[in-house]
Amino acid sequence: MAVERDLWRLSAAELQRGLLAKEFSAKEITESALGRIAQADPEIHAFLELTEKAAYKQAARIDEALSQGTARECGPLFGVPIAFKDNMNLEGTHTTCASRMLENYVSPYTATCVARAIGAGGIPLGKLNMDEFAFGSSTETSAFGKTLNPWDRERVPGGSSGGSAAAVASGMACVALGSDTGGSIRQPGAFCGAIGVKPTYGVVSRYGVVAFGSSLDQVGPFARTVHDAACTLNAIAGRDPLDCTSQESTVDFTANLAEGVRGMKVGIVPAFMEAKGLSPEVRHKVEEAAANLAAMGAEIVEVALPNAQAAMSAYYVLGPCEAFSNLARFDSVRYGYCDPGHKDLGSQYEASRTIGFGSEARRRIMLGSYLLSSGVYNTYYYPAQQVRTLITRDYNEAFGKVSCILAPVAPRTAFKFGEIADPAEMYLTDMFTISINIAGNGGMSMPVGPGEETHLPIGVQLIAPAFHDELMLRAAAALETVYGPAPIAPDFDGLNDNAKAGE
Amino acid sequence: MKTLEETLRTWEAVIGLEIHAELTSLQTKMFCGCKLEFGAPPNTHTCPVCLGMPGALPVPNRAAIESIVLAGLATNCEIEKHSMFYRKNYMYPDMAKNFQTTQGPIAFCMRGHLDLAVDGAAAKERVDLGDCAVGEQCGNVTRTEDGYVAHVGITRIHMEEDAGKMVHFGGDEGRIAGATHSLVDYNRAGTPLIELVTEPDLRTPAEARLFMQKLRQIYLALGISDCSMEEGSLRCDGNVSLRRRGETKFGTKTELKNMNSFKNLHDGLAYEICRQAEVLEEGGIIYQETRHWDPTMKCTIVMRVKETADDYRLFPEPDLAPYDLTDEFIEGVRAKLPELPDEKELRFQRDYGLTPYDARHLVEHRETADFFERSMECAGDDAAAFAKPLANRVNNDLLAYLNNHAEVTLDALPITPQRLVDLERLLADGSISTKQGKEVFAALLEKDCDPAVIVEERGMKQVSDSGEIEAVVDEVLAANPDKVEQYLGGKTGLLGFFVGQCMKATHGQGNPQLINEVIVRKLSERA
Amino acid sequence: MTQYVNEQDVRAIAEYTRIGLTDEEVAQMTIDLNSIIEGLKPITEYDLEGVEPTFHPIGSLSNVMRDDVVTEGFTQEVALENAPHKQDGCFLIPSILGEGGDR
Repeated sequence: MAVERDLWRLSAAELQRGLLAKEFSAKEITESALGRIAQADPEIHAFLELTEKAAYKQAARIDEALSQGTARECGPLFGVPIAFKDNMNLEGTHTTCASRMLENYVSPYTATCVARAIGAGGIPLGKLNMDEFAFGSSTETSAFGKTLNPWDRERVPGGSSGGSAAAVASGMACVALGSDTGGSIRQPGAFCGAIGVKPTYGVVSRYGVVAFGSSLDQVGPFARTVHDAACTLNAIAGRDPLDCTSQESTVDFTANLAEGVRGMKVGIVPAFMEAKGLSPEVRHKVEEAAANLAAMGAEIVEVALPNAQAAMSAYYVLGPCEAFSNLARFDSVRYGYCDPGHKDLGSQYEASRTIGFGSEARRRIMLGSYLLSSGVYNTYYYPAQQVRTLITRDYNEAFGKVSCILAPVAPRTAFKFGEIADPAEMYLTDMFTISINIAGNGGMSMPVGPGEETHLPIGVQLIAPAFHDELMLRAAAALETVYGPAPIAPDFDGLNDNAKAGE
Repeated sequence: MKTLEETLRTWEAVIGLEIHAELTSLQTKMFCGCKLEFGAPPNTHTCPVCLGMPGALPVPNRAAIESIVLAGLATNCEIEKHSMFYRKNYMYPDMAKNFQTTQGPIAFCMRGHLDLAVDGAAAKERVDLGDCAVGEQCGNVTRTEDGYVAHVGITRIHMEEDAGKMVHFGGDEGRIAGATHSLVDYNRAGTPLIELVTEPDLRTPAEARLFMQKLRQIYLALGISDCSMEEGSLRCDGNVSLRRRGETKFGTKTELKNMNSFKNLHDGLAYEICRQAEVLEEGGIIYQETRHWDPTMKCTIVMRVKETADDYRLFPEPDLAPYDLTDEFIEGVRAKLPELPDEKELRFQRDYGLTPYDARHLVEHRETADFFERSMECAGDDAAAFAKPLANRVNNDLLAYLNNHAEVTLDALPITPQRLVDLERLLADGSISTKQGKEVFAALLEKDCDPAVIVEERGMKQVSDSGEIEAVVDEVLAANPDKVEQYLGGKTGLLGFFVGQCMKATHGQGNPQLINEVIVRKLSERA
Repeated sequence: MTQYVNEQDVRAIAEYTRIGLTDEEVAQMTIDLNSIIEGLKPITEYDLEGVEPTFHPIGSLSNVMRDDVVTEGFTQEVALENAPHKQDGCFLIPSILGEGGDR
């Protein structure tokens, strides 16, 4: 069957409708997706590895199911091209975490989220670029080259899941998985104009996802429509016997998307809106989104998160502490970079870890080691966990009054490569996202069109009470009725300039 | 160097033990479903979790948690309902994640104790109890008739995981020092391990050995570990310091490793106590260091000097949910508690009328205690009369055999409780002599048949027919008139000679007791 | 700015974390760490008297355990697949103590 349309432009829902109507095959979807990658990725560099063979194998499975009339039974992602952040193990692929340390590491097993996505019928396209070990907000720390923002090649895609956001925003992947420790799904989502969902901690299994901050990390989807994001979340959510911190999820995240926000109380945090460093265009977009929600019948209520400003320092204590310990296993013995020619283990350890890890990884390892050392632990680590209690309390109190909170994702739009050199300034890009990881509840980035000043994508953040992620998805779906689905970024050569951000 | 006894007159030894036991009775590892198996080909029982692959997460084994709670209940510990796992961070190649998952300040089991009955030679090491009267409590010990009971505090028992195994090459005898390379096998990595830490309540190497033995009996009774010191499933480190008698301040301690048998534990500690005393008496100082007991050289060697306390950067393991044990869980485990050695000892005294000494030594080994009990059942109406001889037979002969044949297990031997009882019957009714009894017993350990068959085969039926015996005695007395004269003249020591001659004449089958009686009677008739 | 760590501390941390740093890198790392730690100051200034810590952001989840049942793991071949050096079914490492090692 000849395909006139660019299948890579379609949403998951459109693809599945087309498959069921026999308008095209899963093989054609795969060809189209891989073709799009061949076309766009040389410039954007979102992918670190392609899994073409696995993709075609899965396509054949879906096509077989279609011919048997059992495609739906494959699962909620049947026929949907999906790609994975490169910190997710997929057996037989390299899982590099964008680090020299794991350049030659081949996964001997598969992460639960990846297995579930593929098990649900997703067509695996490959592995996506990221900040090294997810330490960063720009994907610039990748050892294998930077990923470009599809909307402006001179700018970063955000991070650490920059490859995931860029792949979805440029149409290379219909949906993608990322991980979020302090904003690593939401911020690149905002920078690239894609929907990025960080569910409540525990909704998605972390088994097989290379850990950064074990009490903060959470896996979630990127997509261009709220439905696609919810559908992907349906595929990957739920208790995993291999992850003690994962929990039962019985919600169908797609079920209530069309319900709208009439009568829903949506919180606004005045302290966030007045935060130093929040750019006027981002602030304006959040206010505009609030007005749109209000126009659709939501009640906008001011809520306070009095301890949110402590989240930043708590995060920069907890993250490095957990990372220090999580990264200790990279020691050149069982896998990973091993510097050749050493006669004693000590020097092999040191050389391998020094060469294998980039500077940000080394800095966080050393910081974490210092913060946990005896005598220092009680000054930083313990209080940071107490702050977690206060922030959780704040959110619980706020969610006693509202069903969902509207906030900025990042204080500004995507910055230029090299524009932010000071780590401390880079850390500030996570100021609105971090408190959610500390408390553990869900948050997502919803594109609301380009900023009036920079003309770059802006995302607003919707924050949900713990284990009620469906509420933020519902509010996001309402905003989608106003702003439309996330557009695919125009191609750089101007061939595909029919899509403009938010227009 | 002075002897231990001399040393302990001047110095008080303060000993604490750290005892690791692998939960070998479980099917799988602590945090993953890999099979627990000793001696499998290297790295064949591994998975992402126990190899520390990137992204792997731990999930605790419920049976391991039940086992440690069981161990805590059996050692009089308080079970902490709220506890957490922690990460103990240090890089070492046998530790796949480069941190050990262990427990923090609060372990599953806290504040327990064991009471040790110390008697015989073991009690003699305690040279400071001269003024302590029987029944009196002196420090943590209570004086008894034949020794004392020491009350030994248990600080905690916590749950952790074992490391992998390493083999070193290129150095002397597989030692790590001087090795040019090593091989790592992670089959053992992640084996559930419980570590018991005692209070510094032990004062002699004998007490330390008894504590270890008693704990081993308990763990074996609970069925949680095979407790093989040889294979390393039960391991012990000792902390030792000295202080002059009368002093209350603790001295600097050394940590002693590689005490992989009860004898090594005793001898290693004894050596270290004497060594420290010598250093101190010569005006030297004890360094806080780790020392290795070398059983062939019979001395301890420095492994590592600790300049500063190790900083393991302990913090709560975020990948594992905390524990909030319910009463239901704890009571469920308590219901599984078997009879413990102390209870069994009391029951043996009460039900079988055994002395505390016999009862204690019987329960030291679960196998032999069970064998004794089953024998008592077989004894039926004779049980009361047979208790003491059966206990002796088991405690002495059977145990000696098992100790000398480490490769043999009791259930692999042809001897059965019924056969042991049958043997005692033959002895009781005088069918065979005590000496013959020993011979029959030895045969029962090797031959699968009843004692009567052995007696028959070897023609060792004891001659207890008094007419026959009288004839033999008359013969012997008639053949030795001079000796009879001497006996009657007061040299009564010759009785043994006459008995010996009669035994010879009956080819060893005469009932010695009966012969004795007849000789004495006949000689007195002549007097 | 307060000096939280000096170069000697940084060298000790580097040794503990097994990260080799040149003298130059030690100097730079000392500056970086002090600057980051300075940024953590707010956490030390909070009034947290009586506030319980939350180590696990998982609500009231507790006692998560599995049954003692064997699951399939790796073959020896797969276990060693990524090993930089191997021998006789084991991971091969150079001398642990090195020269003059004390462990």
